[in-house]
Amino acid sequence: MPPPRAKDGRDDRGRPCDPREEEAPGKWDWNCPETRRLFEDAFFRDEDYIRRGSEECEKFWTFFERLQRFQNLRSPGKGDRDPGRPKHSIPALAGLPRTYDPCHRINLSVLGPDTWGPRGLGRPPPGRVAEFRQALQHYLDFGQRQAFGRLARLQQERAALPIARYGARVLQALKEHQVVVVAGDTGCGKSTQVPQYLLAAGFSHVACTQPRRIACISLAKRVSFESLSQYGARGYQIRFESTRTAATKVVFLTVGLLLRQIQREPSLPQYQVLIVDEVHERHLHNDFLLGVLRRLLPQRPDLKVVLMSATINISLFSSYFDGAPVVQVPGRLFPITVVYQPQEAEPPASKSEKLDPRPFLRVLEAIDKKYPPEERGDLLVFLSGMAEISAVLEAAQAYARHTQRWVVLPLHSALSVADQDKVFDVAPPGVRKCILSTNIAETSVTIDGIRFVVDSGKVKEMGYDPQAKLQRLQEFWISQASAEQRKGRAGRTGPGVCFRLYAESDYDAFAPYPVPEIRRVALDSLVLQMKSMSVGDPRTFPFIEPPPPASLETAILYLRDQGALDSSEALTPIGSLLAQLPVDVVIGKMLILGSVFHLVEPVLTVAAALSVQSPFTRSAQGKPDSAAARRPLDSDHGDPFTLFNVFNAWVQVKSKRSRSSRKWCRHRGIEEHRLYEMANVRRQFKELLEDHGLLARARAPQPGDSHSRLQQRRERRALYQLKRQHEEGGGRGRKVLRLQDDPGGCSSEEDPGAGDSVDIQDVKFKLRHSLDQLQAAATAAQDLTRDQVALLKLVLGRGLYPQLAVPDPFNSSRKDSDQIFHTQSKQGTVPHPTSIFASSPEVLHVQEQEAGGTEGSRGNKDKMSSRHQLLTFVSLLETNKAYLVNCVRIPALQSLLLFSRSLDTNGDCSRLVADGWLELQLEDSESAVRLLAASVRLRARWESALDRQLARQARRRPEVDQEEEEDPGTRKEVADLSRELLKFTASKSDTDLYSDCLRTFWTCPHCGLHAPLTPLERISHENTCPEAPQDGPPGAEEAAPTPLRKASVLQKPYHCEACGKDFLFTPTELLRHRRQHV
Amino acid sequence: MECEAERPPLGVFKCQLCALTAPYSYVGQKPPDTQSIVLLEESYVMKDPFTPDKGRFLVLGSRCSLCSRLVCVGPECSLFYSKRFCLPCVRENLDAFPREIQQDVERRKGPSKKPVGQPGSGT
Ligand SMILES: [Zn+2]
Ligand SMILES: [Zn+2]
Repeated sequence: MPPPRAKDGRDDRGRPCDPREEEAPGKWDWNCPETRRLFEDAFFRDEDYIRRGSEECEKFWTFFERLQRFQNLRSPGKGDRDPGRPKHSIPALAGLPRTYDPCHRINLSVLGPDTWGPRGLGRPPPGRVAEFRQALQHYLDFGQRQAFGRLARLQQERAALPIARYGARVLQALKEHQVVVVAGDTGCGKSTQVPQYLLAAGFSHVACTQPRRIACISLAKRVSFESLSQYGARGYQIRFESTRTAATKVVFLTVGLLLRQIQREPSLPQYQVLIVDEVHERHLHNDFLLGVLRRLLPQRPDLKVVLMSATINISLFSSYFDGAPVVQVPGRLFPITVVYQPQEAEPPASKSEKLDPRPFLRVLEAIDKKYPPEERGDLLVFLSGMAEISAVLEAAQAYARHTQRWVVLPLHSALSVADQDKVFDVAPPGVRKCILSTNIAETSVTIDGIRFVVDSGKVKEMGYDPQAKLQRLQEFWISQASAEQRKGRAGRTGPGVCFRLYAESDYDAFAPYPVPEIRRVALDSLVLQMKSMSVGDPRTFPFIEPPPPASLETAILYLRDQGALDSSEALTPIGSLLAQLPVDVVIGKMLILGSVFHLVEPVLTVAAALSVQSPFTRSAQGKPDSAAARRPLDSDHGDPFTLFNVFNAWVQVKSKRSRSSRKWCRHRGIEEHRLYEMANVRRQFKELLEDHGLLARARAPQPGDSHSRLQQRRERRALYQLKRQHEEGGGRGRKVLRLQDDPGGCSSEEDPGAGDSVDIQDVKFKLRHSLDQLQAAATAAQDLTRDQVALLKLVLGRGLYPQLAVPDPFNSSRKDSDQIFHTQSKQGTVPHPTSIFASSPEVLHVQEQEAGGTEGSRGNKDKMSSRHQLLTFVSLLETNKAYLVNCVRIPALQSLLLFSRSLDTNGDCSRLVADGWLELQLEDSESAVRLLAASVRLRARWESALDRQLARQARRRPEVDQEEEEDPGTRKEVADLSRELLKFTASKSDTDLYSDCLRTFWTCPHCGLHAPLTPLERISHENTCPEAPQDGPPGAEEAAPTPLRKASVLQKPYHCEACGKDFLFTPTELLRHRRQHV
Repeated sequence: MECEAERPPLGVFKCQLCALTAPYSYVGQKPPDTQSIVLLEESYVMKDPFTPDKGRFLVLGSRCSLCSRLVCVGPECSLFYSKRFCLPCVRENLDAFPREIQQDVERRKGPSKKPVGQPGSGT
């Protein structure tokens, strides 16, 4: 079939026009909307290349106008013939048009239109149609040229990357060795190019790990874009989403996710090549992955591994893998001058501990003096933390207002996303950016155009104190490797200068490399993961650099405390479930417990809220307006409940008038982005629970009638279109920063008209989540009964146990700001300033009027009360003070009775010691005994409900989607248990948390010793008392996990009829034992 | 993410004059998913990688109508004047083309593709 070309635009031109259709001269108006609509209806239909009303359509008309102006300018000389040229002898050249016209250079043609619109306007004059068609062809040709230009440029850029010359070398090395190290600094292109080289070389199952989720997404997008999708689909897989399909040849995933894949299939059969990127960052799980891989390699001789690293400590990695070859890619750095400017001891500017900003200002001055403003180049200042940033920010902004030559911007992770983005904006001519940053700009964030770097030489990092199990933000000197990274930031776009505010001798004294994470952080999740992967004893695992033994021991102990490991350090059922949930142990416990009590929806929200950064913006902390606006959402139960309220209220706002949610958040000092994150985490948690059989998979709710289904589909289509339009627009463009003129004002315009622009976050949110479902959950949350809230608190309390803090006895007589709390390991902690207990401490105070009821035997000082409360908290953060983060108040006596690992009492139960550190005195020993007995019963039942849930979950696993309905028996058991737990927590029994001294006189029934002893001392005496009868079974000493536990007063001798043996059992243990014989 | 039912690539287009390579998903004159546009030469076509819109295509290149070399549409490799011609062929038969094309080709000679700083381009 010959190519269709009959309706070629060119044919119209030569034909004499029909005068009837020719319009009167001067009357034709292309700008007339009617005219345009007529043409749009004919040429820009839904199935056409350009669609009516699209952005493309607008672009066309703009192009059209320009083209017309251009053609009017040069119309007279058009069409001069070239008669001198003879007809060519080569046939292909013979048929060339004799008259030159630019339209002969267009290799496409537009057909149609078949019909002219139904509007009854009829067919326009053919001359005009031809004119339009020609313009359209020009436009399409222009688009083709542009796109092809981009494509060619993209390939040139790829070829110009430093790594490009080393691709063959990497592939060659990989042919000969199983492991290859590729070393090159940021900007050499290794992360984007190496996966593509592998694909081009024919590898097809490539996994590339990244330490950060965000890098997975951006790399997958970049690689797919650069490779023009030629290797089939490529995808990424992260915690929340996956774009992976069967055709995926390369997948970008986080280290954590790869480890979980290894957990499932230890030999990783799904991959041919594994790229481990950023190994030099020495993240905890990355180090572990290297250890796992080293063991795996001999079993998978066909598996290739590429380690990618900055040029830091390369030999460490190479030698860990048997001298793996190193391909080193030189960076593209311009020369950088280093200026050492040690800070002389000068009289402090003020008495405060605040950082002295003067050395930093001197650098700004020096730059102003030495470099003319026309010479562009921005300044990047590395400071240790946020406090230091704000100290310098204040001074530098004052200087900037004075000189009008600087825009000063902070950069740290607690900043809102919009504020972080400002560092990418450009300064107006003659003005430089001064970016005050934490070490986030060292490797994570790359800002172009930096010419000057100021390095304070300091960094604040989370240090971990394994003894106190405390995360502590501490200031350290940086390493030489970090100092070099910081310096390098000045030489990415041209020669640069690096000012080091320390002496060269200081630099020489720096450690060569940063301390790896494994030596700094808590190892709980790592140990749990190691246990579940059966890699043997964590103490002897061949890490690339071993962790401190003390942190390992603390982690193991903690997991035992949390019930994830048993006394022989093997995984318990709940532990193996926790190891599968990629969440913090405490969060995992909450989710599991929540699913037992049918509190999944609220627990999901709370767990999600506790898993993301606080949504309360820093800047809003000091603003009374925002705090006041937020007050109705505050919960005096504790911070997780406040977050719960915030999230639910936000969902309600979104479902009613989603456009205004952004404003709603801003008004309340809430970072909306964090709420979007919360929604994502929540959904992820929900899927986890479904995947692990803890939650029945929800069937997609089908809207009843076809009308509403249609409606829904239409809405989704509209949303997709909005998203597409946004993506075409390229998202947020670079803006020009403004000079600060108002004191303290921030730069970059606050778009006041944001109301009608598309909120792309909102669009994505609606596409990803079912707003109806979320709203239903939020509405249900409003109707949570008091009982449900109390149960929720129990779930949180048990999940968080033993993270408890007891209020100082004198808090009620202290100022609000001086309220202190003590944890088992740390005295004098305070609630975080954002906590409800910092702003309303009175909700924790014991009401005095209670005391009247008791016969005044003990006096007011001891404060017998049934209202004593404890704080349970999510984490302890130490900066200048030790802060309790995310606190919940819980009733003291009942919680300890229900949660504590060991309970010691005296003979009449008037004194209780929980876990060896918290003592309670009970007024009425009669009721105390009753309470104790009740708690023992409840604990056993709770335990068995949990066991049953875990067993159910274990049965349900391998992906079989059998809809096993919970049997009515279990349902009733849980309902009864819930009821009794509530009755129990509501029970009143006066106690005293603060008896003066734990020591009481005690007489040993065996040896007659009479001495003032603490319960622990007493127990340890009992264990060692030479006169004590040896009534336990032989070997019981060894079998008992800890002496403390064994000697716990709750243990009673028990003779089992079934097995004919004697035991020492707590009631729980007794029940468990009996169950064996059932 | 929404599923992307992308047309699988048929092969890799490689310009015989420059190093440009790209996967193509269609060869012919009637690109898929577009009704009203015809191409005036047998072209190697891919989905436009710069827009998420599935219907958009990008012409990569075609064969020179004189020497049948496969060339890209880049201005340094070929031109279209009612047919596709590779630049070497155009230069050889310059007198067969109208003056505008001749001038245009002269202009193209100027900026060499070679990276800056390589002396002796031989003029
Ligand atoms: Zn070419
Ligand atoms: Zn040719």
